[in-house]
Amino acid sequence: MYDNEYFVVDMASCTSTGEIINSLSLALETLNHSGKKIVLKLNESYLNQSQMLSIQSLITSYGCILDTVETINPDTAKIAENMNILVQKPIEKRVDDSYETSSNKDFEPFSIQLNRKPDDIALKDVTGLHFEADLDAIQKQQNDININLDLKEAGVNPRSDFETIEEQISNQYTKPEDIIPNVEEYSKIVSPMESLDFPEVQVEEKQEFENAEKNSIGVYKKAYDENQLQDDEWEEVDFYETPTNDPVISDTKNTTYINQTLRSGQILEADGNVVIIGDCHPGSEIRAVGDITVWGVLSGIAHAGCKGNINAKVRALKMNAVQLRIGNCYSRRPDGTNIPYIIRSSIFTPEEARVIDGEIMLFKINQN
Amino acid sequence: MAGSVIVITSGKGGVGKTTTSANIGTALAHLGYKVVLIDTDIGLRNLDLLLGLENRIVYTIVDVVEERCKLKQALVKDKKNPNLCLLAAAQTRDKSAVDADQLKDICDKLKEEFDYVLVDCPAGIEQGFQNAVAGANEAIVVTTPEMSAIRDADRIIGLLESKEGVERYRLLVNRVRPKLIKSNDMMGVDDVVEILSCDLIGVIPEDTNIITSTNKGEPVVNDEKSLAGMAYINVAKRITGEDVPLLDIDEPTNFIDKIKKFFAKKA
Repeated sequence: MYDNEYFVVDMASCTSTGEIINSLSLALETLNHSGKKIVLKLNESYLNQSQMLSIQSLITSYGCILDTVETINPDTAKIAENMNILVQKPIEKRVDDSYETSSNKDFEPFSIQLNRKPDDIALKDVTGLHFEADLDAIQKQQNDININLDLKEAGVNPRSDFETIEEQISNQYTKPEDIIPNVEEYSKIVSPMESLDFPEVQVEEKQEFENAEKNSIGVYKKAYDENQLQDDEWEEVDFYETPTNDPVISDTKNTTYINQTLRSGQILEADGNVVIIGDCHPGSEIRAVGDITVWGVLSGIAHAGCKGNINAKVRALKMNAVQLRIGNCYSRRPDGTNIPYIIRSSIFTPEEARVIDGEIMLFKINQN
Repeated sequence: MAGSVIVITSGKGGVGKTTTSANIGTALAHLGYKVVLIDTDIGLRNLDLLLGLENRIVYTIVDVVEERCKLKQALVKDKKNPNLCLLAAAQTRDKSAVDADQLKDICDKLKEEFDYVLVDCPAGIEQGFQNAVAGANEAIVVTTPEMSAIRDADRIIGLLESKEGVERYRLLVNRVRPKLIKSNDMMGVDDVVEILSCDLIGVIPEDTNIITSTNKGEPVVNDEKSLAGMAYINVAKRITGEDVPLLDIDEPTNFIDKIKKFFAKKA
């Protein structure tokens, strides 16, 4: 329904303006669309006038024109119309499907009813809904327009001074920094090796060799009985139970996704969380400031919270890690438990490693 | 008295340097000597696997060189024998992470404390070999009775002779198959020694136990029944200066072989 000079950006899954601006600028940056007309799919999210203006000026700064907005939110539709932007109601998939099935004779009576241009339906519906918008929303819009007018009075041109407007908008929302309580903790970054407290042996040199045993690291243990689990496999689980664990701070950090197998000798370092879709072979190493999640067999070394976060976690579909390190806690795999390289998927038991009283313990995922 | 630093080298890959290092080290520790094994194969480490110490390594030789830890912290003690220690190589770096002087320093420090410092050398004659040989005062050249391995061993012996520190070098013939030698399909041990004109320190027969022991992470020396294990213990004894005769590796094992041997003698 749109030809070549249009560029359709689907923002239906975005909920906040920040998200929309972020993904929109990414989409515009990655491809060259200068001179194209942008079709913004917004679905039901509500945008006030200043937000809409900032999006428009963002698009114009990339040399494009915001031509059409697809929305089912009547308030957003009205604001867009005020700004001389075309408004359309998104065509639901159901309509398309019935078009296809309309050739089927069984559905003939329905096909007559639906055999209209989808554009007509959209326009009619949008205009119909316009006047049903509630008073509160209109009042809200009025306030937003007032803000915009204030800006104009202050000599700010909203189209050119995009950053100023963004500031205005961001003041209305809580910043992510305000939500995270201990940001300063992360700024006290020590290199992972320095942060380890090995017992300092300051006696004579010869005794140091005898005391070398003290440096040996403990084994990680399972916090549940493995044999018992197999019996309880069909135990009924209350899926509607509310989670008791408080969300971990590191979850708010950025996440790196790796879609490949990590091989021997490869190091993966990340300043947030890490998700690996693949196996981690023996001899590989993962160091992350946040959590580590491996969608596969973890056989290498994993160091979660490598800058001192002891609440970090390591998860894997099959935990076979040579060593697990969380914060400054170290643990190793028990002797003689190495499972061979090729593993049948039937013995996968997803596990999570956490630090309990300075010891690394393995929990079955979702086990409290 | 300072201990001796023995480098185990071959030139060619796959002849059994690492297996030899692990077994001689374990055998020497069993004999009551304090032994440290140094893996210099940075980036392709295997010695830790053969000893079953993979999960205990926190610091490596690169960490020691780059002063992230003390030398003592990087030494990993063996599971069974407290006399045996391992200084592991880093898996995530390459040979250029360490240079010859640094390795010489490490060897010098370790030989004050240990009776034997065994250095497992990587294949080739590049940086890795130069590093491994730097601190050594003795060498064991591992070879197999094949032309390619012998040629590489010859090259290595030439390089060792030109090194100042290395006082003596001895030959270890690995993976010998008595049956093939008898049928003239494989070079005999005597031929190898003659070609290389070098002292012999031991002959190790081909043994399937080596494969299983490598996978288990336990040196074959711990298996008393294994022929290769016995041969390695003998090599260890010769290192300490004991005079041990060569193991009779071509002893017929089954009844049919015994009859064959009987008739062969008559003819």
